Amino acid sequence: MDLQIALLLGQDGIVNGAIYALLALALVLVFAVTRVIFIPQGEFVAYGALTLASFQTGQTPGTLWLLLAFGVAVTLIDAPASLRIGKGRFMRLLGWQIVYPFVITVLVLGTGAKDWPMLLQVVLALAIVVPLGPQLYRLAYQPIAEAPVLVLLIVSVAVHLALVGLGLLFFGAEGSRTPAFSETSIDIGGLTITGQSLWVVGASALLIVALYFFFEKSLYGKALRATAVNRAGARLMGISTTLAGKLTFLLAAAIGALSGVLIAPITTVYYDTGFLIGLKGFVGAIVGGLASYPVAAAGAVLVGLLESFSSFWASAFKEVIVFTLIIPVLVWRSLTTHHVEEDE
Amino acid sequence: MKSRAIVAVFVVLLALAPLALPEFYVTLLNYIGLYALVALGLVLLTGIGGLTSFGQAAFVGMGAYATAWLTTAANLPAWLAPLANPWGGLLAGLVLTALVALLLGALTLRLSGHYLPLGTIAWGISIYFLFGNLEFLGGHTGIGSIPPLSLAGLELRDGRQFYFLIWVVLLAAVWLTRNLLDSRSGRAIRALKGGVVMAEAMGVDTGRAKIVIFLIAALFACVSGWLYAHLQRFVNPTPFGLHVGIEYLFMAVIGGAAHVWGALVGATLITVLKQWLQDLLPQLFGATGNFEVIAFGLLMIFVLHRAREGLWPWLARLVPAAASRPASADFRGESLGRRPVPAVGTPLLEVKDAVKKFGGLVANDRMSLSVSAGEILALIGPNGAGKSTLFNLITGVDPPTSGAVQFLGQRVDGQSSRVIARKGMSRTFQHVRLLPAMSVLENVALGAHMRGRQGVPAAMLHLERNEESRLLAEAARQCERVGLADHIHDAAGSLPLGKQRIVEIARALAADPCLLLLDEPAAGLRFLEKQSLAELLRLLRAEGMGILLVEHDMEFVMDLADRVVVMEFGKKIAEGLPREVQSNPAVIEAYLGGVD
Amino acid sequence: MKLHRKSLLVALLASIAGSAFADINVGVVVSATGPAASLGIPEKNTFALMPASIGGEKVNYIILDDATDTTTAVKNTRKLLTEDKVDVIVGSSITPNSLAMIDVVAEAETPMISMAASAAIVDPVDAKRKWVFKTPQNDVQMSTALVEHMTNAGIKTVAFIGFADAYGEGWYREFSKIAEARKLQIVANERFNRADTSVTGQVLKIIAAKPDAILVAGAGTPAALPQKTLKEKGYKGAYYQTHGVANKDFLRVCGKDCEGTLLPAGPVLVAAQLPADNPIKKVAEDYVAKYEAAHGKGNTSTFGAHAWDAGLLLQNAIPVALKKAKPGSKEFKAALRDALEGLKNVTVSHGIVNMSAQDHLGFDQRARVMVKVENGDWKLIK
Repeated sequence: MDLQIALLLGQDGIVNGAIYALLALALVLVFAVTRVIFIPQGEFVAYGALTLASFQTGQTPGTLWLLLAFGVAVTLIDAPASLRIGKGRFMRLLGWQIVYPFVITVLVLGTGAKDWPMLLQVVLALAIVVPLGPQLYRLAYQPIAEAPVLVLLIVSVAVHLALVGLGLLFFGAEGSRTPAFSETSIDIGGLTITGQSLWVVGASALLIVALYFFFEKSLYGKALRATAVNRAGARLMGISTTLAGKLTFLLAAAIGALSGVLIAPITTVYYDTGFLIGLKGFVGAIVGGLASYPVAAAGAVLVGLLESFSSFWASAFKEVIVFTLIIPVLVWRSLTTHHVEEDE
Repeated sequence: MKSRAIVAVFVVLLALAPLALPEFYVTLLNYIGLYALVALGLVLLTGIGGLTSFGQAAFVGMGAYATAWLTTAANLPAWLAPLANPWGGLLAGLVLTALVALLLGALTLRLSGHYLPLGTIAWGISIYFLFGNLEFLGGHTGIGSIPPLSLAGLELRDGRQFYFLIWVVLLAAVWLTRNLLDSRSGRAIRALKGGVVMAEAMGVDTGRAKIVIFLIAALFACVSGWLYAHLQRFVNPTPFGLHVGIEYLFMAVIGGAAHVWGALVGATLITVLKQWLQDLLPQLFGATGNFEVIAFGLLMIFVLHRAREGLWPWLARLVPAAASRPASADFRGESLGRRPVPAVGTPLLEVKDAVKKFGGLVANDRMSLSVSAGEILALIGPNGAGKSTLFNLITGVDPPTSGAVQFLGQRVDGQSSRVIARKGMSRTFQHVRLLPAMSVLENVALGAHMRGRQGVPAAMLHLERNEESRLLAEAARQCERVGLADHIHDAAGSLPLGKQRIVEIARALAADPCLLLLDEPAAGLRFLEKQSLAELLRLLRAEGMGILLVEHDMEFVMDLADRVVVMEFGKKIAEGLPREVQSNPAVIEAYLGGVD
Repeated sequence: MKLHRKSLLVALLASIAGSAFADINVGVVVSATGPAASLGIPEKNTFALMPASIGGEKVNYIILDDATDTTTAVKNTRKLLTEDKVDVIVGSSITPNSLAMIDVVAEAETPMISMAASAAIVDPVDAKRKWVFKTPQNDVQMSTALVEHMTNAGIKTVAFIGFADAYGEGWYREFSKIAEARKLQIVANERFNRADTSVTGQVLKIIAAKPDAILVAGAGTPAALPQKTLKEKGYKGAYYQTHGVANKDFLRVCGKDCEGTLLPAGPVLVAAQLPADNPIKKVAEDYVAKYEAAHGKGNTSTFGAHAWDAGLLLQNAIPVALKKAKPGSKEFKAALRDALEGLKNVTVSHGIVNMSAQDHLGFDQRARVMVKVENGDWKLIK
């Protein structure tokens, strides 16, 4: 292996690592506030990418029907309580859960979105996929928000299964790619850096910084973290834990869908792509102790680099190498982190 | 009694099933049995031990591939030839799995918190891809034509014949697991989830307990794999991948991860549900799409919303609860050996210039004190003075930054709490650390852990009943001594806080210590209860025990203690007889504030 | 349980009504979900297009999904045999599942038609495999066509990159055997996973080995990834793919990076371009028309055609078997097996079938053509 190849592999590793980092960040975010290990995060990535791809081939994305269905379900569940609170609340509920999806449906069915400029298509794709986050929280997680971490994890597995199954139904078994945002590419010393990969790495970096500052330095961020440490205490302090949960899932879905839109030009996205990149993001998140954003991102990039180099050395054993090498990293991290025994 | 009758009926039904049911149902029951065996390991490991593992499928694969290779390979080396049959395959599989489990356990069980599940995912995936890449294991295409099992001359080709083997193995495993949990080793295992610090202070080797359950879970999985290989007579890597590992955990949690029968319930529900959905959904929705997985996911979410602890507790409530323990406190047994009691006045504990720093904060600043046999030393001071930190230092929970701690003439600073407990020191905790779901008797029996010897194999086969009854008798005695005889079968978490503190004292006494460290034992007790406690402590002192006591109740302390040490901001500010200390101006200033 | 009792009642009534009206039950096991879904879904869709009766008897197709898992495939097979009492099994879509099912069907003495690639499924025909037939061309045949084309084009060295599963593994086995025999040197042997987002490492290694041609052994759209990456990194040699990519989605994802790619395929892929005197043309176009009428223009998949061929084999064999025994009986299954083995000159969408006691596939070189990707579509060459 010469320097040239090492550089190319390193570049590949960093770009892939940045993709995993986007997932790692969202996973840390969701866990830090809700104690949910959000395995379906990868599905948001896939949904975002494939919804955009559907627009470009002139098809109606199935995620639209999901938005409508979730909207109806949330309305049915929340209607009694919100009516009791007041008419304003009920109107807001209807507005977001029924009127909004209806408007989007009309937009999509009416115009087909095929000939729209790319940017508007992206916005539309986000507009469909991102609201699924808080809706999912309301339907699947809010009723058991106080359950132990293991139960929340198993519910995540069940949600993941359902979403993957829906993904196959909506988008079929074959994958899709979308055209890049820009065709620019920069040549540095033999390395070709595409504009799209810069977008991905840039987005990751920006997110790390933003999330770090939000959660460490701002009051809102600390309030959100408080809900994970002690729900009852947080509520006594006036922090709405359900709002915290929904906000977090909204953010996570936004990160996910945006990631999907960013990576769709660089790689083929399938209905089940989400699981594997989510798993690698999960590795990164764990390396960060499910608490630290910069370390989680570093862990994800490490996975990307390991993957890249081991696929050069012994591609058939790539997974074996990557996952075996992760274990010493985990041991090291485990020794250097002080673990608080979780009381049941 | 009633629960035993129910189990008996269940076993009879199981035995009759293959004669009455159509063949496919027997096939399903076979698969249920195989999955339940793996899920049972997970109940032990995850539900009870608190160690989430996604990698059990890899061990199933090991058991399956070991026997598949040995029974079909063409050119086996000569030394392996005697193993080239199904039973040899089982032996090889078990040995291989045990070795790998011990290795992986040594690596990953040290991982705390969330690192452990990821560690299990990591080696689960590695092993799966290893299976797929090794040519001699058939690669991804797999190994076929595996010979059938022969039992007593009969070849088990038919699903109905195999059924009996699978279910006998499963029921045996259930029996072994239940025995294990209902024993001294079982108490140690049950302390793993939420009680590690406490258990170590009682002398339980929690690291070893973790390895033990990890090994048992791996061996159960290995046997399941062996049975699978000879049932299907074809193995390839796909049934041993991560998604199957996740599914086993799924079964355990849905069924009731903390309950042995939960494994069976979970395996049955998931298998039957999948089959049922496969039949029903095409009739409802037509054959165009694939809705099974979606419906499955939705149903599981629904189940977990309604039954967070799994289905078994819910099912068990339907059956009128049987008296799970013998009614009378009829725990008789020879008493366990007692430690020689040091003569009154022998120095037991000497702390010399102990310092504990947490970053920049000095919690203990050159603290010194000593406790002799037959004496009660009270340690008092305002909140935040560092008293509990000093306790943790002395008992080995946290090592001191510098300074020496001597117990019975030997240096113990820096040693683990388990080692120190074994030397004769026992303690209670400021924040009560009991296992709330276990009965009072069993919590106290945990204190006597070090006085037993019988290990895991004896426990699983229930060969240690004699020692167990002696341990429980000792626990019952201590409960009586502290006045809790009426509550020994109550769940420890159901008692009021004051009584829970008394349970902790009984537990500490069950360890037969010569030095007792009590952290605020009177907090939450009513007047008469405090009087009884004081009586008990006086009695213990008269028997030659040394007691180091942290308390805030001045009346309680001053009447009881022989000497008093006062701490403030990590330093000792006074020491002496109770009356002397009470009138010491520095002490008054520390508690009440100075007059400027 | 309820469903079972109901169907039992119906079966009872039906059998009382007269055994002359016994239905023929065909059990189908496909991988409609999981990694092999791109193979299984077109196959599943094809069964809906098959005739509802053969030889005057009603035919029921009972379709079960095995999720690309061997355990489920075996479980489904057992269910079809013991609960639904099928007369024949069609499936599964992939090699490991089909291999696992062999023992079960042999024990139940029921014929099975597999839709998977490996020759090992039917070869050698022994006591168990005498019950097993298959419709896809063997990976041996396809490999031979490829190697021939390569050597004819003057290629001396080739790099292999395939799926890290049974498909890629099987292809490598056969390809490397024939390549060695024909003195074609394999300079690299790389693997990648279906779901991988990047194959840069593998591609760099391949380029460093400077092969004359690349062979990508994957199925469906994931096989486009290595090719696109190679193009991106500037590889200028010849690109070969396998018949696993013979569907429109592959072309869609690969785009202009796939111009000039060569692959062996079943004739059904280029049915419209076959010469008019080719008997396969009519059968192939018939299938294409039916499938595209139901699922959209250009959506034909050669995998679906394997399922169609299984149907055609049955349509030819069942009338012969009906003469000997009634459906639902052991004798019928044995007769059906014999009838399948005795099929001669049956034209199916992938070729012309001549079965024998040693050959349970029955194809000759008419069953494969070389195809080139030109202007974003398949072009028949040779």
